[in-house]
Amino acid sequence: MGRYILRRFFHMAITLFAMITLMFFLFRLLPGDPTATVISPALDAEAREAMRARFGLDRPLIEQYLVYLVNLAQFDFGLSFRTSRPVWEQIELRLVNTLLLILPSMIAAYMIGAFGGALLAWYRGGRVEGNVVLAATALQSAPVFWLGMLAILVFSIWLNWFPTGHIVTPGRFPDPSWRMYLTLDFLHHLALPFFVNTLYNLCFPLLLMRSTMLSTIGEDYVELARMKGLRESRVLYRHAMRNSLLPLATTMPMILGWSVAGSVVIETVFSWPGLGLLMIEGITRSDYPVVQAAFLLIAVLTILGTFVADLLYGLLDPRIVYR
Amino acid sequence: MSPPILEIDGLHLGYATRTGTAAALRDVHLSVDAGESVGIVGESGCGKSTLLKAVMGVMPPNAAIEKGAIRFQDIDLVTADPVVWRRARWSGIAMIAQSALNALNPVMRVSAQIAEAILAHENWPRDKVRARIRELFEMVGVDSSRIDDFPHQFSGGMRQRVLIAMALALRPPVLLADEPTTALDVIVQDQIFRRLNQLQEELGFAMLLVTHDLGLVIENCERIVVMYGGMIVEAGPTAQVIAAPAHPYTLGLYNALPRLGAAVEPISIPGRPPDLERPPAGCRFADRCPFAQARCRTDPPMRDIAPGHWARCHRTDEMEALRPAALDPDTWERAADTATTTDPDIIKRI
Repeated sequence: MGRYILRRFFHMAITLFAMITLMFFLFRLLPGDPTATVISPALDAEAREAMRARFGLDRPLIEQYLVYLVNLAQFDFGLSFRTSRPVWEQIELRLVNTLLLILPSMIAAYMIGAFGGALLAWYRGGRVEGNVVLAATALQSAPVFWLGMLAILVFSIWLNWFPTGHIVTPGRFPDPSWRMYLTLDFLHHLALPFFVNTLYNLCFPLLLMRSTMLSTIGEDYVELARMKGLRESRVLYRHAMRNSLLPLATTMPMILGWSVAGSVVIETVFSWPGLGLLMIEGITRSDYPVVQAAFLLIAVLTILGTFVADLLYGLLDPRIVYR
Repeated sequence: MSPPILEIDGLHLGYATRTGTAAALRDVHLSVDAGESVGIVGESGCGKSTLLKAVMGVMPPNAAIEKGAIRFQDIDLVTADPVVWRRARWSGIAMIAQSALNALNPVMRVSAQIAEAILAHENWPRDKVRARIRELFEMVGVDSSRIDDFPHQFSGGMRQRVLIAMALALRPPVLLADEPTTALDVIVQDQIFRRLNQLQEELGFAMLLVTHDLGLVIENCERIVVMYGGMIVEAGPTAQVIAAPAHPYTLGLYNALPRLGAAVEPISIPGRPPDLERPPAGCRFADRCPFAQARCRTDPPMRDIAPGHWARCHRTDEMEALRPAALDPDTWERAADTATTTDPDIIKRI
């Protein structure tokens, strides 16, 4: 097990390195002079050159790349083109905002999906099952921004239950700090995007769990569990559902990666100041260091998620032994 | 004589399908006395596994008991409260599952799987449960240090032993066994049956063995029950039924049994089992029976042949005279031809 984890760390490092390299050169290929957005075109060429020199943009590409790598190794994501301040300052809170939205909603989606899918399969053939499967398929096919807009229309504009966006009431925390997460105002703002994101992410695990359960229910050990005189609930949870969790566990990191990347959409709809919104801002302002750092974080989250899922799989299935 | 420990009385069971109801069990009468071994034989789809599932009360959702009773220690489980039936499972009637490879939950330690069976019925402390599991492993001949292993760590034969240990956990008076050794090679099969017979002598449980292997029943069971198309066609003491089969299907099954060193080749019964959704009128075997007559299109009677030996056939009285013809493979071929052919030209040629 220890050797396996060590090897996996090595693999993860290689994957990450490839990601970093690819992204670095991709961003240099983008058209447009970043300095143009920062410096007034009225400025003379000399001042522009001084600016380029300050960000190191006048050096050869390969040198820029090596400097980038060295800085990254020290968790230095560089300076934002726009604010000339370290990128990490901007990203820190944004990352927290995104994770506070995505992680609880993923956990909720997988919990509800697993139990809901299991129950759908267990009580198969009813009207409820047909309707839920239809609704889940429809929801899954609907674009998440449309769902978000619909939710805002109904719950914010018509019913006026929730704010239409933002993380706290604007102006309440002029200087964003950790304290704002401890307010009811934050939860009030979190509710609607959380609900929409959960509903959207719920469909996949729900449908997957249902189909896995349907084949597990026919297994001999489920029948034997019933023959042993166990309570139906124990047969359902300990035998049928426990064995159906495996495929669900493998899909989780994938979905987590998509969800963090997909936070662009939900954060835009709800003006949620997270990583996704930061990426949009960065792209429109050609603030490459910021966008690059955001992409990098998404890649790291996905890679880490896959690693955790592999370990989880070993815990869930004793037949899998890591060497 | 004491009453039978398990009695199935006029059981009818149907499977609801898209196109109607499949009559999987029809008028099944079967009783098992304490401590005896009864073997049920028949080909695939004759309803023998369905019968065991019905006794355990774990039929698939589309199956329904239409009529009849399953009495265990004089309590009818069919009409009793579902909780009574659940409590009777395993503590009263346990089962050695058919497939040793899939019957154990792959993600649970076998000790946990046996323990949950015990704890579903008994309120034992942990130490007592574990001591019992160790004792059970010794009984079936598996090293008791392995109780905490996972199923995939055992070989096929060992898994079957674990399943037997699990079945015996609560000392059930009745043990059902559904093809307990089909997935295993003959040597392991022999070891397992020898152990089962020893255990039966020690513990005194009654055993209901379901198999398609007539030889296994002849070796291990005092009484034999022959099923065909969801019905029992013949039942009686094994020795007597084998010496003088009273139903043509039993004759056919016996002929199909390969015999070591014998000059005769095994004879198969041509044709297919009946469609249970649209069973033929009268005797369900008539289509494949070489001795079928016009009256076989009416329901055959249950006739007593000897004490404890009965058959469901119109021609039981003439069996003595028909038996020699049954040894001729051509007899069976002809029956199949007339039954399956609808082209009048071919019938004329015959």
